[in-house]
Amino acid sequence: MAEKKVARFPDPHEYVEKEVPPELEGWEEMYPPHFLFGKEREEWEKKQFWYLDKIHAPEPMPPLDQIFQQAWQISLSQHTTRVFCIPPAQGIAHRMIGCYQYICAIEPPPEEVIKEKAELFGVRAHYPIEHYDELWDEWLGRMQALGREMEGIKVPQELPKYMPAEEVAPNPYRGYSPGYELIEAFDRANDCMYKGWQYHFNYLNLSYLYYLTFGDVARKLFPGISESTIGKMVAGAEVSMFRPEEELCRLAREAHAVPKVAEVLRKEAPAARKIEELRKFDAGQAWLDELEGIREPWLYISCGSGWYYYEGSWVNKLDVPFGYLKGYLERLAKGEKIERSLSKIAEARDKLISEYRKLIKTDEDRSSFDSAYKDCRVIYRYAEDHLFWVEHWFHTIWWDKMREIGRVLVKCGALKEEDDIFMFNRLEVPTVIEDAVTTWALGEGVPMLKWGERAQRRREILQAATKWSPTPALGVPPEEVAEPFTIMLWGVTTDKVAEWLKGMAVVPEEVTEIKGFASSFGVVEGTARVLKSLEDVVNLQEGEIMVCPSSNPAWAPVFTKIKASVTDIGGLTSHAAIVCREYGVPAVTGTGIATSVIKTGDKIRVDGDSGIVTILERA
Amino acid sequence: MIPTKWIYRFDELGKEHNDIVGKKCASLGEMTRAGFQVPPGFALALEAYDRFMKETGAIEEVRQYLTTFSADPNNPADMSKYEEASEVIRGIVESKEMPQDMEDVIRQYYDGLCQMTGISDIPVATRSAGPASHPGQYETYLYVRGGSEVMENIIKVWSSTFNQRSIIARARLGLPLEYDPVGVAVLKMVNARAAGVMFTLNPVTGDPSKIVIDGNWGLGESVVSGSVTPDEWMVDKVILEITKVIVSPKLKEYVLDTKTGRTMFVDIPPDRQNAPCLSREEILELAKIGKKIEDHYGIAQDTEWAIDNDLPFPENVFMLQCRPEQVWSQRKKEPLLGKKSGYELLMEKALTPTKVKL
Repeated sequence: MAEKKVARFPDPHEYVEKEVPPELEGWEEMYPPHFLFGKEREEWEKKQFWYLDKIHAPEPMPPLDQIFQQAWQISLSQHTTRVFCIPPAQGIAHRMIGCYQYICAIEPPPEEVIKEKAELFGVRAHYPIEHYDELWDEWLGRMQALGREMEGIKVPQELPKYMPAEEVAPNPYRGYSPGYELIEAFDRANDCMYKGWQYHFNYLNLSYLYYLTFGDVARKLFPGISESTIGKMVAGAEVSMFRPEEELCRLAREAHAVPKVAEVLRKEAPAARKIEELRKFDAGQAWLDELEGIREPWLYISCGSGWYYYEGSWVNKLDVPFGYLKGYLERLAKGEKIERSLSKIAEARDKLISEYRKLIKTDEDRSSFDSAYKDCRVIYRYAEDHLFWVEHWFHTIWWDKMREIGRVLVKCGALKEEDDIFMFNRLEVPTVIEDAVTTWALGEGVPMLKWGERAQRRREILQAATKWSPTPALGVPPEEVAEPFTIMLWGVTTDKVAEWLKGMAVVPEEVTEIKGFASSFGVVEGTARVLKSLEDVVNLQEGEIMVCPSSNPAWAPVFTKIKASVTDIGGLTSHAAIVCREYGVPAVTGTGIATSVIKTGDKIRVDGDSGIVTILERA
Repeated sequence: MIPTKWIYRFDELGKEHNDIVGKKCASLGEMTRAGFQVPPGFALALEAYDRFMKETGAIEEVRQYLTTFSADPNNPADMSKYEEASEVIRGIVESKEMPQDMEDVIRQYYDGLCQMTGISDIPVATRSAGPASHPGQYETYLYVRGGSEVMENIIKVWSSTFNQRSIIARARLGLPLEYDPVGVAVLKMVNARAAGVMFTLNPVTGDPSKIVIDGNWGLGESVVSGSVTPDEWMVDKVILEITKVIVSPKLKEYVLDTKTGRTMFVDIPPDRQNAPCLSREEILELAKIGKKIEDHYGIAQDTEWAIDNDLPFPENVFMLQCRPEQVWSQRKKEPLLGKKSGYELLMEKALTPTKVKL
């Protein structure tokens, strides 16, 4: 590996000035000013450690999609600092550089603040464990009500030339126009999304903290126990995130029992055509009714992580779930198993725990282990369950609402295409809407600003940004990390930072071997498919090796297709690792640099035993 | 009087026979009985040594000789006297023939082994098995073929109780010099492609959830003696997955010279130096066996294994020896988590930032 010695990471201010490629010019305008590095906060910014958030923002950030980032910067941080008061932990700050998101776990507060928080934390951390079931029911009710509220927001079909007669006279006039309605629709949807992200973190910080505690316990008793084993011990089998896949499997089985239905679904054709054909006969219609029955909420699942507008959701990209159905039916026809057996997974987990438990040498340790495990199991469900309801179900409703608004803006000439709305951040969209509504209100012959052209320019910047690989980290590495998400999700530890430092000096074209965690066993060779953009999942061919920044549960069905998996990032919750083991597919995770070093078409060897990926032949 | 039994098949033995056949034989017997794959063979009890020494008159001659012998085991100047005594006594013992009735029985057992394996004049190893632990003190002979060679080498093992080192050791402990009965294990030679040791815990940290396997090409001697840096694998005992792999450059291995029965320490050809000496399936098979052995004995074990070059997997995975792990099993068991509840552990965690050191 080509390496030169690197003492520290680049200074963020110098980096912004010198390293952002000129093709990205104008990127700063896409994000609110407090997301930019700048003179006013220079002294503080230079002292912090900033790293690229490849988990939530592996791709250049479309301006409106940044809403979630904006919302979680506040929500995650406040739940740590002000709500549950995790003693030495503070929040996570964000900055954008050339369309990429950097984040920073802020160093611990002064000693007296830690003491103050410790007292509050003691009570606040314990309560949810003892009342988890009620709290969860309450949480889900709150979240679902908010989703319905958002779904119910009325967006006018258009800004009509004249308000329809029946809305003005002879009927009573309601008092406001469709123009106002459009302004209100965005504001209300915006409020709902922000509030939803308040709920997102209600018990997440604690659930990660309990997980980390149990992880420490397991590591003290069994030094060197793998992260994925700890993950398996804690993972729930019957969590909401797995339901969409289970429902598809169930529907595949039902179709399999009716050859005529199965035959249609197995065809090589778009989903719309298959639906049309199924409508023509009773059994087909009956199956479609079943599909309709699970549509909401279980098809409200993002085709990616839920964080990018272009990913789409199953419910409005039916080709995706129909593609999975086709695969399931083909496997059923061959007599293969398609479902993960939930009881088996639960059994395997219980066996795992009981076998490790047996190895504990003293009764005192066994009792500490049991207690830490019990607490963790109670609340870790939250980490698994909230994901479906927020990032998938709730986000799907939001995307639909935004497109509805985008369509109106296209109709009135403010935008060229509905997705242009995503090219403006959440503080700018109201201005776009206001300009459109103002122009409409003023009467005939009034010009509008050229929002469509701005959107086009921003698309070009984002496109240029996909070709740029920004540095993994900036600034001064900290001496200690107290913030639970930083350790748990991003896996920021001594090793990780050292790995980034090493990676800094690497010339991607010269690398032939990269190292990560041996996450799932076996050695295979094959062709790489780099899924840098989540949309690329569609291109994945049977038997290829998936190389991606990090994978997520919505991709579950691809694991039956691939030969192996390699990821840049695999923190404690490494989904790729867990799923690969379930499907017996070799995996190397947390390589840090796989997606920048490996190119689609490269012949690579994935050694899941030793955690080494070798590039055998460049494409 | 019922004559005492002095020869046993391995499957007739168990750990309760330690003092009758020697530890190694008892251990091979215990492993055979428990269903582990050990090389097939039989054991000569301490009683056989006793009969041989008495019936051939060897013991009398040795005693006779020793009446004239005097030396101080703690005086370095006397070391040559012990060397001379060893030579004389071994000469006496090795000049004796196996008593006919014993030879007939041993031949029956050996022929039985040939029949069982379907190999005539099957090559065997004759290994000493002391009742108390004297590791490596006595001698082992490899690649012994045919009835006559077997007789000769059993006697050699017995005679090795009179090697210089052993006589001095007995002299220092004030034990009789003329008599130290040992058992002899006669077992099929494993044609080791790779061999080594396996601990059923992590010998470095004491972590009971790990199995650690060290191995090199060829016979296990290079690993046991520490004369090469072996390959090392760590396997998680519960999930039976390899959690750590170190493939070392392995420059030398012990191989057997089948003509002389001696081992030779030879260079490993470059193409095998950096290749792992075990396949993944062999590693996992060993770990499974290790786990079963530990369950069987109820305590962590320190074992020796070999992979046979002539047999298909998994029949090629042989256990050669096992004994209780000495270091961690002896320690007092202290709680590692400070008798804390889950809640106390959480508070501790929440108050302790994770250090990042560069």
